[in-house]
Amino acid sequence: MARIGVFVCHCGSNIAGTVNIAQVMAAAQTMPLVTFVADNKYSCSEIGQTAIREAILKQKLERVVIAACSPQMHEATFRKTVAQAGLNPYLLEIANIREHCSWVHSNDKAAATKKAIELVKMAVAKVARHEALFTKEIGLTKKALVIGGGISGIQAALDMANAGYPVILVEREPTIGGRMAQLDKTFPTLDCSSCILTPKMVEVAQHPNITLLTYAEVKSVRGFVGNFEVEILQRARKVDASKCTSCGICWQKCPEKIPAEFNLGLGPRAAIYTPFPQAVPNIPSIDLAHCRYIKYQEFVARGEEGKKPPQCRICERLCPPQAIDWEQSDQVLVEKVGAIVVATGYQTFDHTRYGEFGAGRYPDVITGIQLERLLSASGPTEGEVVRPSDGTHPKTVVFVSCVGSRDERMGRAYCSNVCCMYMAKQAILLKEHDPEVQSYIFYIDIRAGGKGYEEFIRRAQEEARAIYLRGRISHIYQDGKKLIVRGEDSLLGRPVEIAADLVVLATGIEPSAGAKELAQSLNISYDAHGFMVEAHPKLRPVESRTEGIFLAGTAIAPNDIPGCVAQGSAAAVKALAVLSRPSLVSDPMVAIVDPLRCTGCFACQRACAFNAIDSQVTRDGKTIAVVNESLCKGCGLCVSACRGVAMNLKGFSQQQLLAEVNALWR
Amino acid sequence: MNQAIRDKAKELLASGAVSCVIGYDVGSDGINARPFFAYTEEEADGLAFDQTCTHNLVKYLIDRAGKATAIVVKPCDARALTVLINEKQVKREEVFIIGAVCHGIIESTWGQKGSDLQGRCQTCTQHTPLVYDLLVGEPMAEPTPKAPLDHRAATLANMSVAERAAFWAEQFQRCLRCNACRQVCPGCYCAECFVDQLDPEWVGIRIDLPEKWLWNTIRAFHLAGRCVGCDECQRVCPVNIPLGLLNHKLEEEVATLFDFRPGVKADVPAPLETFKKDEKLGIGE
Amino acid sequence: MALDYQPKIVGFLCNWCSYAGADMAGTSRLTYPPNIRIIRVPCSGRVDATLVTKCFQQGADAVLVAGCHPGECHYSEGNYHARRRFTVLRELLSFLGIEKDRLRLEWVSAAEGKKFSQLVSEFSAEIAHLGPRKDNGKAAGGSL
Repeated sequence: MARIGVFVCHCGSNIAGTVNIAQVMAAAQTMPLVTFVADNKYSCSEIGQTAIREAILKQKLERVVIAACSPQMHEATFRKTVAQAGLNPYLLEIANIREHCSWVHSNDKAAATKKAIELVKMAVAKVARHEALFTKEIGLTKKALVIGGGISGIQAALDMANAGYPVILVEREPTIGGRMAQLDKTFPTLDCSSCILTPKMVEVAQHPNITLLTYAEVKSVRGFVGNFEVEILQRARKVDASKCTSCGICWQKCPEKIPAEFNLGLGPRAAIYTPFPQAVPNIPSIDLAHCRYIKYQEFVARGEEGKKPPQCRICERLCPPQAIDWEQSDQVLVEKVGAIVVATGYQTFDHTRYGEFGAGRYPDVITGIQLERLLSASGPTEGEVVRPSDGTHPKTVVFVSCVGSRDERMGRAYCSNVCCMYMAKQAILLKEHDPEVQSYIFYIDIRAGGKGYEEFIRRAQEEARAIYLRGRISHIYQDGKKLIVRGEDSLLGRPVEIAADLVVLATGIEPSAGAKELAQSLNISYDAHGFMVEAHPKLRPVESRTEGIFLAGTAIAPNDIPGCVAQGSAAAVKALAVLSRPSLVSDPMVAIVDPLRCTGCFACQRACAFNAIDSQVTRDGKTIAVVNESLCKGCGLCVSACRGVAMNLKGFSQQQLLAEVNALWR
Repeated sequence: MNQAIRDKAKELLASGAVSCVIGYDVGSDGINARPFFAYTEEEADGLAFDQTCTHNLVKYLIDRAGKATAIVVKPCDARALTVLINEKQVKREEVFIIGAVCHGIIESTWGQKGSDLQGRCQTCTQHTPLVYDLLVGEPMAEPTPKAPLDHRAATLANMSVAERAAFWAEQFQRCLRCNACRQVCPGCYCAECFVDQLDPEWVGIRIDLPEKWLWNTIRAFHLAGRCVGCDECQRVCPVNIPLGLLNHKLEEEVATLFDFRPGVKADVPAPLETFKKDEKLGIGE
Repeated sequence: MALDYQPKIVGFLCNWCSYAGADMAGTSRLTYPPNIRIIRVPCSGRVDATLVTKCFQQGADAVLVAGCHPGECHYSEGNYHARRRFTVLRELLSFLGIEKDRLRLEWVSAAEGKKFSQLVSEFSAEIAHLGPRKDNGKAAGGSL
């Protein structure tokens, strides 16, 4: 017979304001095996926890129910509390009477109280069936993986490497640097983006603790905290990195020219290329889709009739160290790591979905990031801001905010966070480049909450003389050389029409392509847009719900550079807190086989997604199932697959769940 | 046919290839077949097969694990055997399968031979077992169903929910909880059936409608995607609960939803042990 | 008359998505009717058909099983198994005289507090409208 103690938390007025605590306590007194009932103003406070510990000792309690907030909130806290009083930490059950009761039934106090009583009754019935569970120590790989080599990933990798732990940094593009490398200057200080970023990129490349894999992708992740096994696809560059001296002859001489992705199509690149001059590593890659020799090989392989295309191979002939390696092929690397930081970043919204802005038809309607490339001294125009259509200098520039942000029509209810600030920055820079430029900025609201941000907006208005117009744009169309921008000034309540030379769309932020698929293979949650979901939006902002996997940067939500850097560092600290432990503790809530009930049908094995079911031969020669506890993740799929209840799940056993169901009708 | 079975049985027993042949002999009423275990060549002379061989014998193989055994199977029994092999209860290499070409089993009572085919045999589409080591009897063209399913299935489908509930309450009310349906079922081989378990206690001890309802519901569900439709459960039910109706309902659901017939293929998981990522099942959508 | 009926609904919610989604509904103070009793499970795939059937045997008016959206299961595949299992169980129960609408499988993510609250509101109303169960499995239960 177990002695069960029930502690009902007021949570200030969060619970007590809706649920009648006295009635819940009175009902708990009558529940089977309950020998002690008490309430706490705040159970999670030190006073509350002390009261629970004292009651356990004084009342000789053997099991504890705490009726309070969600177990997702404080189960871990209270497990420690009861353990300090000498109880097994797993002899605790939480009745969630806040998130699932008082907060959602505030309109009906009587019903909320009745429900709270039932929730406590279920918890009491369940805890009576709890068993003491014991953790085990397991080893871990003291190495981290960072996915994404933008500023967030770079920061995380450097912080962990500087703490003395080996780090693998995987970047999909041929270079690290991410979106920040494309920016000209950064708000609100106007420091040159590449001047502050490049040294960090070089530091990554030269760091003895960092293995940098660019042009590579994470294909699959298996395992669990401390013991992940990662498959990384290293794509073939067709260039031998050990021979290449980064002289640049290959890409200068390559005859094939295609629009450069890095410059958003505003300038050309060769088929063998580095995305930009300061790329890290500065090893060119051959773009297989465009290389003439590859096309020639494919033509020959198809065995088609007709004139063969040229073989080209100019890069191969001209390369001084003979670094071109046509035989190089994609490779799959398998790495073991203990913690993972996901920093997969963002891409910009596809503005061509807006028909009213020309759907991409007008060359002089460009995006904010295209303007960054035009402003950049290392950009396609070497810093001359010119119109893509005719190369003239624009004098009237209109900015359109919230393109793909705060727009339910496009399925984008959220704010992209950085657009207000970068529009202001670009207006200031345009004025610096050419004092004759007049900028008009159409906005919905000005979001300038960061340090020095509001002042920066004022600077755009006062120094750069940018004219801010509150309202949406209804239509843009070409009229001769001008772009006519029609909109509304909602403050004056009248239509506006501006004849512009250049229109800049402040396109919003969305998760990188492939982020969802990556999240799926990592088993971490993502929201409807594909942004990764934090373990807790306020208190665990850089942790995923999966232990050992951490998040940073715009993979979580739109963010600016200081925010991303802070998250990179924060995720690094969280990962280091895993890696620096001598060993990890296993979760004891795993499956277990009753050898007397098992008939060896292995339905469990067929259901298990983690290969956690092995077979063993008993002394009487029967082959039955056995759980490999280090692989079991505790999902309980095997339990549902087992008709004979030979399989059970510790912590969520058939007995425990059945007790909860039965309690509802007792 | 009988001779072919006896010859093979003798040969297998003589050579030591098997230590037992499980089949049928003529029962004590001189008419109806009964299960028969031949351990010697002499005993093998008793083996016989005719249209009264209603029993599904494959369940006996589970207790013969580790000992080579020959068994006489009808097409439906062969499907049940494949299920047991898939579920690792029987090792294929330990069994010599004597497949009997089956013309259907007739309704028969003690001491009296009937003339009508059993309901399950009227809808059956197999004369020849899908798996065997030796086939006895003359192979023939596979039949087309001779009669519709139990007419009550269609009637039930057209009933209102309340009427269906009332129909089953009437049926289950008769249940004695004798568990004969389970004992005879080749798919029911759990070491301790959920209905017998005291911890967890799924089904209470009362012989009361809710407990009978739970037992009969879960018995049927545990066979979803596994029941081969041999209808042995229904045959042995002392109070004539139409258990086959439930089994067939699930058999048809599984066939429609997952394009799956139990016991047809070896080495494929039962539909409730697997999934397809992109399937649309009309739930959770 | 039927709308005055207060149904009793059991909800099996997976720990990673739907339970957190229900928490999110609470954190966002989105009210819904007090008819549901939530049981936390690690995964929708953990919910045994016997447990759900037991709820109906005991007299539940309806059962909700909720898990992560397809492709988002914390254990990669549990919800796919749940999908098959409850599709079949629902057919069986309907054949036995329990309306299909009384067993629901839904996907609710950790971010979908609003969806959860709407789901429970809608489900509670629907079941209240259906009224008490019509099968005798409940009516004949001595303890009910």
